[in-house]
Amino acid sequence: MEAKAATPVMMRGEGLGSAPGENPTFAGRIELPYTLTTGRAASVFLAELANHKLVGSRCEKCGDVAVPAQDFCAACGETTAADFEVAPTGALTGFTATPAGVLAMIRLDGADCDLVHKVLDAELADLEVGTRVAARWAASPAGSMLDVEGFEVSDAAAAGEWPQPFEATADVEPVLEQSYDLRLDYDHAFGPYYGTLFDGIATSRRIQGVRCPRCTCVLVPPREYCDACFVRTEEWVDVADTGTIKAFSVIHMEFVGQVREPPYVYAEIVLDGSATRLIHSIGGIDVEEAKERLHTGMKVRAVWKDAEPTGSLEDIDYFEPVFD
Amino acid sequence: MFAKSSNRVAVVASAQTSLKSRWANRQHVDLISEAVSAALKGSGLRIEDVDFVIDSGSDILDGRSISNCGFLGAMGAHHKEESRVEEDGLWAALYGATKIGAGSAEVGLLIGYSKPSEGDVSAFYWSQVEPFYQRPVGFGHEAASGLQAQSYLAEHGHSEEIFADVVAHDWAKAATNPWVETDDVPAADAIRASAVVAAPLRELELARAVDGAVAVVITSQRVAERVCPTPVWITGIGTAIDQHAFARRERGSLPAAKVAAEAAYKRAGIGDPTKLSIAEVSASSAATQLMVLEALGLASPGGAPALYRDGSEIHLNPSGGSLPADPIMATGLVRLSEASLQLADRVDHAPAGATSAVVHGAGGVGMQNHCVFTLEV
Amino acid sequence: MRDVAIVGTGQTVHARRRKDVSQAGLVREAVDGALADAEMTLDDIDSIVVASGPALFGAVNQPEKWLVDGLGGHMKPVVRITSGGGTGLAGALAAMNQVSSGFADKVLVVAYDKLSEGALQYQISTLYDPFWGREFAVGIMGFASAYWKARIETLGHTEEAAALVSVKNHKNAFRNPYSHVRKEVTVEDVLNSRPLAWPIKLLDVPPISDGACAVILAGDDVVPQVSAKPAWIRGMSYYGEADNAANRFMLQSVPLQLAAQRVYKKAGITNPRRQFDVAELQEPYTNFELSYYEGLGLCRTGEAAALIESGATEMEGDIPCNPSGGCMGANPIGATALIRLAEAALQVTDKAGERQVPGARTALVQAGGGWANLRGVAVVGADKN
Repeated sequence: MEAKAATPVMMRGEGLGSAPGENPTFAGRIELPYTLTTGRAASVFLAELANHKLVGSRCEKCGDVAVPAQDFCAACGETTAADFEVAPTGALTGFTATPAGVLAMIRLDGADCDLVHKVLDAELADLEVGTRVAARWAASPAGSMLDVEGFEVSDAAAAGEWPQPFEATADVEPVLEQSYDLRLDYDHAFGPYYGTLFDGIATSRRIQGVRCPRCTCVLVPPREYCDACFVRTEEWVDVADTGTIKAFSVIHMEFVGQVREPPYVYAEIVLDGSATRLIHSIGGIDVEEAKERLHTGMKVRAVWKDAEPTGSLEDIDYFEPVFD
Repeated sequence: MFAKSSNRVAVVASAQTSLKSRWANRQHVDLISEAVSAALKGSGLRIEDVDFVIDSGSDILDGRSISNCGFLGAMGAHHKEESRVEEDGLWAALYGATKIGAGSAEVGLLIGYSKPSEGDVSAFYWSQVEPFYQRPVGFGHEAASGLQAQSYLAEHGHSEEIFADVVAHDWAKAATNPWVETDDVPAADAIRASAVVAAPLRELELARAVDGAVAVVITSQRVAERVCPTPVWITGIGTAIDQHAFARRERGSLPAAKVAAEAAYKRAGIGDPTKLSIAEVSASSAATQLMVLEALGLASPGGAPALYRDGSEIHLNPSGGSLPADPIMATGLVRLSEASLQLADRVDHAPAGATSAVVHGAGGVGMQNHCVFTLEV
Repeated sequence: MRDVAIVGTGQTVHARRRKDVSQAGLVREAVDGALADAEMTLDDIDSIVVASGPALFGAVNQPEKWLVDGLGGHMKPVVRITSGGGTGLAGALAAMNQVSSGFADKVLVVAYDKLSEGALQYQISTLYDPFWGREFAVGIMGFASAYWKARIETLGHTEEAAALVSVKNHKNAFRNPYSHVRKEVTVEDVLNSRPLAWPIKLLDVPPISDGACAVILAGDDVVPQVSAKPAWIRGMSYYGEADNAANRFMLQSVPLQLAAQRVYKKAGITNPRRQFDVAELQEPYTNFELSYYEGLGLCRTGEAAALIESGATEMEGDIPCNPSGGCMGANPIGATALIRLAEAALQVTDKAGERQVPGARTALVQAGGGWANLRGVAVVGADKN
């Protein structure tokens, strides 16, 4: 079982803030934690940054080199490993400025290839192809590429002969794992169909679907095309806030990012007058009792929240079973 | 076209939604179903005739995992064979063509869509970069484009003025294309005055991300000859990918595009691609567009700016191409749709007398992956 | 149009967490296995199909563009197919079409997921429409459990019958050197295990795994040069179903039945129970295996519980299902479907070692993903159609 995060990661956010006002959007957020595995070569390269070493790999089969070191030769696929060291100084072979800053292609002394990194404290006008740079090392290395904070313009010539054979520093622990957080924000458009549905829910607790002219089924949520017939739906139809349980289960599991506090009853409900499944929960009944007393085909009805409507499914607190 | 198959594959119909910066009041499914129904309309085929659906879209752009799984109804894929190719849509076409070439189906529906306005385009790209070496330093789509532009200029001694000519040409073409929504069509001067966003590239010299969907119907020869007065035949396909680490790739040229093009030309038996009528190509920026044209053999290395300065025999991006309208995952499939409609003379912006085309799609940061189709009527 | 055979397969050492390799290294391990099996090198490969789960499983969007270096893919055709849990089979189908059409002669299919890196249930929950139901999701476990409950009520797919699937697959996983779960369980253990999404309990659920699988496909004219023991793909198909279509039938999987119908016709299968010697079924939860027995025609509707109870699907039975242990031994989701295909190939080429079904010549493969709405079927044989 996955540990639950101390601060639950929500599935809603603030969005991108770029949507025009006349078309409100649904602010979605996906915010996922990872523990990434770096692999053989990167685990060594990243660890040796703390010792101010920059390590590369050379392919024994085709001679291609890579800095930073790679597990595989990109030219021919042969397995490679960290086996030489290059200088922390070099020259620019290319550069650009973006809103993220100045990024450059850097040919380190002793390397036959470039790497990409930041150029610090420089304006584009200061740079040209061939400009000499030197690594600025982070004060507190963390086993990340940013243990080189970036490169700064420096006249320093390469100190010594490069490349040098790489010998792993004694007692260095490879950086086998890195924590990583991925956050993605969205402004999801409602569109005319979800828009009408959720407006109806917000203003008058009205649930509307659309009818397919061919199969005559009513679809909730509404959509422009009937999935099964691929025919344009035409007619808006009100459906009830009562329905039947198509299927249900009882959620006990906790997981990172979970929105609802378990235990709760997960239910797929067919609202009266519709032919599709609405996903919600069943409440007003103890979950252990639910396992005994609920069954598919049973009638349920929506219990609306007293709170100010939000125009979403959250305006329905839960569905409660209707026992005969 | 295929070595072990006598089956020919034709594009018989296609359609697009309008391509625009933001479809504020449409969902993905609305755009998809509009494109699909428009492609089928007048094609002589109904949804029931479609054997399979291959689609291109992105979970990261959509904000939804296995997003095809939720969009099957809108794609007309209910109870059909379906697969998601999470690459530019031209690879969906590759899949579809091999399926018909293999004789396992006769009618395929290809779909590409994106709604970049709902998400963060730059995240879509930086999330494609490996997370240990390149991603932490802030490397992504803009940086790659700027570095490519700088290298291209340096390798060939061109001035950055050339980029605006490319952009102005394509926006002017886009203005004649009813599917591309262009509020202002920038002239070269305005392009040269736009903000520098990935030096030396200016804002308008990068492809404009747009929302939109495209649907293309491909069939076997048997079906094509039955339903379509002017089938457009796929004569060649090639695809190739470059290595991942951008710093170790060629920056002023696109060797993978060259390999892909050569494979397509070989299959099609095309010796001199400059004799083709139309080129519909995709590019991340004005600089990479020049590099693509060179990789496709339409100009010598460093020679593509002359195609814009002096004019070109081959019609370059009659649709406007991807610089004015880049619907990310759909871009290459839009090129296939466009070239097919132009060859069949079904659109007003079709060049007169065109009989053959080269179509190009790409993917990845710095255009790592390339796919090339050749077509003829 | 040519026949296509599997000429090499490879799998990683699957594990709960492979700390020693990156995603790229994991994939390469399986590829090296397949190349060794086929006695090929990377240079022999014309085209590569990468299949993996949703991009959010790995924090890398379009990961094939990173993995390409470790696949020897430089300047080759490389494409990624993604289709949730069944993606491995969907990828194999794309590759099969490349070979069958003649676009390529030898295609490498590699499928993987490194699930230890992220928060799996959250990742899977993002399948749900952000407007519609995501807040209630527990991956697809809540959904899968709900329709199992419905099948318990209507088809008699009881908790005890599902527990027998768990017992059988755990037992079989012992014989599979690639398994990382090696644990004998009893029916009582399963029934008494902690409920996660009742009626699904802990021992109804496969492990979360890191793993990869690679398969090399070749065209019939190439096969004699590369393999003495090819496993012929006699049919393969992958169908979709709109997840919230009107009156979607949930007690049997219609896309599964459509795929089976198409593939059986191609392979001349009219009596699946008799004609198949072995089946590899992708069971993300034990109850799915019961449902597949019926959907694939191994028994009649409503007889799945009787089938498992009869012992017919045990190693010694007449239709052994999941001699590999299925997902119970290892479940690297994106790789799982390709593992089923690879295991079937091993069976019909008599290379399955301790888990070999003696004399197996015809194998059934099933895979799927999404909300039970993406479903694939394949038939693999020692002989061509």
